[in-house]
Amino acid sequence: MNADFHYYATYCAAILSGYSHEDSVDIAYSDRMVDHCTRTLLSIIKAPLNAATTQLQLELMDARTDLVGLQDITRIWASFHFLPGDLHAEPPKRSGKRYKNKFRLICKPNGELLEHTVKLAKDKPVQAVGVAMHVLADTWAHQNFAGTPSMVINNTNNYFYELIPEGDGYREVKINFRHSTSTPDDLEKSIYTNSLNTNTENHIMLLGHGRAGHLPDYCFIRYKYLPAWGEYEEIIKDNPSDYLHAFCQMITAMKYLRGETDRFERGQYDFSAIAPYRDEIDRILNKRQLDASQDWKALGEKLSGQAIPDFELEQYQGEYTSAADKDNTFLGRFITAALAQKSMVTHHIYQSGNKLAGYSIEANKKGLLWKLRSLTGGEAHE
Amino acid sequence: MSSFQRIKNIVIGVVIILFAVFIMMAPQEGYLFAAVVISLWLFIYGIRLLFFYFTMARHMVGGKLMLYQAIIILDLALFTTSIISMSSFTIFIYLLIIYGFTGAIDILRALEAKNNGAKNWRLKLMTGCILVIFVVLMAVLGLIFKKTDILIYGFCLSLIYSGIMKIVTAFRRTAMVYIQ
Repeated sequence: MNADFHYYATYCAAILSGYSHEDSVDIAYSDRMVDHCTRTLLSIIKAPLNAATTQLQLELMDARTDLVGLQDITRIWASFHFLPGDLHAEPPKRSGKRYKNKFRLICKPNGELLEHTVKLAKDKPVQAVGVAMHVLADTWAHQNFAGTPSMVINNTNNYFYELIPEGDGYREVKINFRHSTSTPDDLEKSIYTNSLNTNTENHIMLLGHGRAGHLPDYCFIRYKYLPAWGEYEEIIKDNPSDYLHAFCQMITAMKYLRGETDRFERGQYDFSAIAPYRDEIDRILNKRQLDASQDWKALGEKLSGQAIPDFELEQYQGEYTSAADKDNTFLGRFITAALAQKSMVTHHIYQSGNKLAGYSIEANKKGLLWKLRSLTGGEAHE
Repeated sequence: MSSFQRIKNIVIGVVIILFAVFIMMAPQEGYLFAAVVISLWLFIYGIRLLFFYFTMARHMVGGKLMLYQAIIILDLALFTTSIISMSSFTIFIYLLIIYGFTGAIDILRALEAKNNGAKNWRLKLMTGCILVIFVVLMAVLGLIFKKTDILIYGFCLSLIYSGIMKIVTAFRRTAMVYIQ
């Protein structure tokens, strides 16, 4: 998902679920922060490097793809961007452990880990809510790809067709890919950028949805393709519908987190909360554009009657670096939430018998995490 | 690419260049060395691909390609081993075919890349064309002058080129899509 959804749409969902303007801005900021909290940034503010929620292009290019390197990559991407849907899933055909471990990391919405993610943020600061909303939203956008480099799971071939609404049906347009990261995607000609093809199983180019380019990140697009793991059955990805479900599920989750409802159940979507704005939301989700920020921002400001500040990465860095008690700063609370999420996901993957994310101590208690961090000089063992 | 992979590429590049220089110094034995090295490399690579197919790629869309690739490579490895004891002229012809095949594949892949809108097709096309021209040139020179040693020098030059490319690759930035 792009910044438009991870910031402005999250703000809208938070307002609709009953949070105040100030809390909604903080939730949206924390959601967006998940796409910026790299080791590079953490080293600048002298924070625990282990709290990284994403990796920069250069960090990825330099990442090792041996077992330890793969575990590090998987911990980050599976915990925050490709939450596994079913850690005990069985592939369609009989297969070995090595294949199963990769297959079981495929991201899907409404998995057991999603429930753990939302419940982990209960009674926690708004930063934890923002982290959970990022993870939840990405389960819809990034479904069918895994947060670990894998050719047999994440690869795609040339079978890609965009389904453009026309009359009562859809017109199929062949999607062409190029590998030029500096050239913006061409929506008119259906030419998109994707990562290079390679026949090395653990190549970094095969992490997540790199081979499908940014298609999963655009809210307006519908397309069909053949996932590498899908036994030649095509998948029709309907992003406007998926993004709408993500939006409504965020409202359901946030109503639970702020105590309006007692339980969070998977597969529940608060469509009633968006009913008065349904047409407007549908219009935003179906509009062919690379960035929907302005549209979501306008809706958010209409909902709250308040101006939404633009996202500024450096906004809380000074507070964190100068604070004596870093735990109680904005970024301190974000880091604690990120560590808890990473630890929880890694722990569940490990408990399922899958070593691809390494080992994690399920440390919900901040004290234990800080103790570990101090013992390891800032880089806690997971 | 990780630091380790970069260092590995540099080391492999240097070893390839040193090996090429060694063969140039003893061209008669060079044919034998070339055939042994090629067959060993092909054999190990083929086995690795076969193992990967049966454990992973057989579940993948298009995974059969890995099996075909493994079989062809193992076949090539066996064939290369079988010609080690033959005359240098047979190896000469064999090396020419291998080069010609590689060149043709490079040209086909460049055309495919061009059709997909990739930018790097020109370099690939150039490499393919150079290889095909090299093969034709070597065949004419070898047949006219009846001196098969000439191909060994060509083989060494291509090895040195591969070694240099490995080292250059170690310093290249590898573009990729950044997922958010």
